[in-house]
Amino acid sequence: MEIKTITSANIPVFFNNLVKSGKVVVAPVLKKSGKVFFESVQSYDQVSTDYIQTAFSAKSVVFPEVEELFSYTKKEDGDFEFRNDMSNVPETVIWGLRPCDSSAFNYLTDFFLKENPDTYFKLRKERTTLISVSCAKADAACFCTSVGLNPGNVTGSDILLTAMGDSYYVEISTEKGKSVIDTALFTDSTEKSKEEFLAKVETKFSMDEIRERIQTAYDSAEWKHESMGCLGCGACAFSCPTCTCFDIQDEGSQESGKRLRCWDACGFGQFTRHASGHNPKSNQTARRRQRLMHKFKYSVENFGIVSCVGCGRCIRVCPAHLNIFENILNVTKA
Amino acid sequence: MKLLQNKVAELFENGTINLMIGFKEALTKQPVPCFIEKASEIEQLIYTKDCKNNLSVYLHKPEVKQAGKIGILANIATLRALVQLTSENQFWDIEKTVLTVNDKEEVIVFSDMEEVEAYVQANFPEFSEEDLKLLDYLESLSREDRWKYWTEQFSACIKCYACRAVCPMCYCPQCTVECNQPQWIKTSAQTTGNLEWHIMRAMHLAGRCINCGECGRICPVGIPVHLLTVKMNQDLFKEFGTKSGFALKGDYALNSFKPDDKEGFIK
Amino acid sequence: MDKENKYIPYRVRIAKKTQESSNIQTYRLEFVDEKDAENFSFRSGQFCEYGVPGEGESTFCIASPDTRKGYVECTFRTTGRVTAALANCEENDIISLRGPFGNAFPIEQWYGKNVVFVTGGIALPPLRCVIDTLLDQREKFGEISVYYGAKNVEELTYKAELEEWAARGDMNLFITVDPGGETPEWKNFIGFVPTILEQNPPKSDNAVAVIAGPPILIKLGMPILAKSGFPNDQIYTTLENRMKCGVGKCGHCTVGKTYVCKDGPVFTYEEVLGMPLEY
Repeated sequence: MEIKTITSANIPVFFNNLVKSGKVVVAPVLKKSGKVFFESVQSYDQVSTDYIQTAFSAKSVVFPEVEELFSYTKKEDGDFEFRNDMSNVPETVIWGLRPCDSSAFNYLTDFFLKENPDTYFKLRKERTTLISVSCAKADAACFCTSVGLNPGNVTGSDILLTAMGDSYYVEISTEKGKSVIDTALFTDSTEKSKEEFLAKVETKFSMDEIRERIQTAYDSAEWKHESMGCLGCGACAFSCPTCTCFDIQDEGSQESGKRLRCWDACGFGQFTRHASGHNPKSNQTARRRQRLMHKFKYSVENFGIVSCVGCGRCIRVCPAHLNIFENILNVTKA
Repeated sequence: MKLLQNKVAELFENGTINLMIGFKEALTKQPVPCFIEKASEIEQLIYTKDCKNNLSVYLHKPEVKQAGKIGILANIATLRALVQLTSENQFWDIEKTVLTVNDKEEVIVFSDMEEVEAYVQANFPEFSEEDLKLLDYLESLSREDRWKYWTEQFSACIKCYACRAVCPMCYCPQCTVECNQPQWIKTSAQTTGNLEWHIMRAMHLAGRCINCGECGRICPVGIPVHLLTVKMNQDLFKEFGTKSGFALKGDYALNSFKPDDKEGFIK
Repeated sequence: MDKENKYIPYRVRIAKKTQESSNIQTYRLEFVDEKDAENFSFRSGQFCEYGVPGEGESTFCIASPDTRKGYVECTFRTTGRVTAALANCEENDIISLRGPFGNAFPIEQWYGKNVVFVTGGIALPPLRCVIDTLLDQREKFGEISVYYGAKNVEELTYKAELEEWAARGDMNLFITVDPGGETPEWKNFIGFVPTILEQNPPKSDNAVAVIAGPPILIKLGMPILAKSGFPNDQIYTTLENRMKCGVGKCGHCTVGKTYVCKDGPVFTYEEVLGMPLEY
């Protein structure tokens, strides 16, 4: 860990230098709809600085909505040619993701690379640098502090910036982070604490208690009531920084086309449906339970990590305003 | 609020309902759908002008239907949806009690769908001005620019199908987008497939959409997708004089045959 | 699967197509590329993703035993888009294949034991691979019993093979069809598989049981086997949830924290009892 300082005035210079270096820079942009999205930008002028959380996470940089697994062509003799070329995946900097999101990248990395390493994720992750910005503000949906994170945690970030009045506190955690630092712009830190500049995020539950009570939560009678509002769309899963489910679909003819990997959601009714029509998770209650148990129990058992980072996106985006921490509290009630 | 809560308490007590679908205030302070299954939960019930969700969509949900006797707190859009859905024979397997709060903050418990129909006809909502303004703007554009507008909008679509999920008129057990023999619509979230999906959905809702605007309001990426069906409704009214969610015996233009139809091809 | 990129398939040629019934077919597949044939090895119980590029992939077990090298067989029923496209293929056509995925039956641990197979309908293929593995080294096992049923005579898979097994004389066969599914010539059992199993209980001494089938058969059959005296860890099954990736990523096949595709598909009854009923 290396700690530096950069003046607020130099932040745009640093940013624009990243763009000039030829990297794709993805940063939060305010859209006409009033929502903030990660987008590839050309200049710091386009970057939104006044947002609590982007509507969607930045996971699409390493796990795109649609990933071409390979393309195929049927040759005249009936044999196939499969082609997969990822050489044009660009070096990318994600700028301005929140500490909860950068933590999510740690989970994604464990999930995709620990067992049966995923070629596509691996390459994209290698070519991605995360420059996070600590949260100065939070809203009622934020609950990172309940899942063991905080508005200034460095987990997952290559560089974490924390605005401290007219300067930024810069924490560089990795070699990758070091490599994008423009030394002329950064000076050694004056060792102020960043704490007072961080948002205060209320703790909604104690993870220690949840961890214990979730063990028996599968059979809780509350799931039905807690899931009653769920309409089975994919908004929560698609906006979530740690949801990884996908579908594989072919597009094209039998002569030529592409095999694609597309985001999918465990909330969709068809997600687990067998070809026979039998559906092991036959109702929305079972599907909602799967999503929450996965975050708070299964991923702890499989990877030792709670795969919810408390970003609050699913709460903000849900058409029925389902609240994940209220749900978790209610299904683990003593 | 107390009036409403008392009324609902009464309905629970006399066994008229065993599940009430209404609104409560969320931690984020906005009104959100709530499901009351016991009397002790009634005090969370609220109703304000900001209660936007079209709760009629829940009457399709198996877990809700299981309750059997369902109370539903309806805003005007929900009432229209109930009228339209009744005209489409959708409520044969549940007993429902419809409540609304009128402009004078009086709580109305409708005794049957005919009363709902009369209320809807007396309070029939106009198209929203905001929607009309955007539609006028879009119509002022050239065809090419309009196409550009929508292609840009739909390129952002991630196919989360929240628009379909919140739509009370999207009740097909298997949506066309899930049919794959043949695959009518590409499933990947890319511009062409997204356009196909939204155009298909708009066509299926033509003259059935009750203009609640929920699909546009809740779209996670902010696409004003409801404009497509609002526009359809405008045109259908202009051409055929039909209004969706207006009459219990309503006929919608794309599902009815009239010998005097002005389109020659249909004869 | 040893390939680094788990999503790029092998190319395989349909060497032999057998129509088992009007909508069930068996394909014998041989690798187009000889190097692939050399690199490809599997164990009985594993499965593959079979595909027609342009239509997609479907998940079926490998139906041929690991004792027979150089090819892979699969048997499938036409139910959807991909299986329809696969069924349309003819001999010598080339299709895509990914795998093998998942774990396998611990057949070496069964040496010297009696083995009981219970299955129904289109779930004979995942066990046929095991049965044939045993038959190929018949001397290493005790009694081999097979309880197999289908809705009707037409839907019985591997009819020719069933006759061969009967002719061997070293297997106990309990072949049945659901009531009403029999033909006038039918001479075997009539009744649902769990009923036949209960009426003719297998001996559980020094024995293991293997059950596969539609989820309902597994759910009914496992307790019957347990009641007949089979210890829970000596009852094996193979679960077949919906799958897409085969490598524990896509999330479709999960039963609780378990990914059927990578942690299974083979589980003992003991393991299944520890899982939610999500199969």
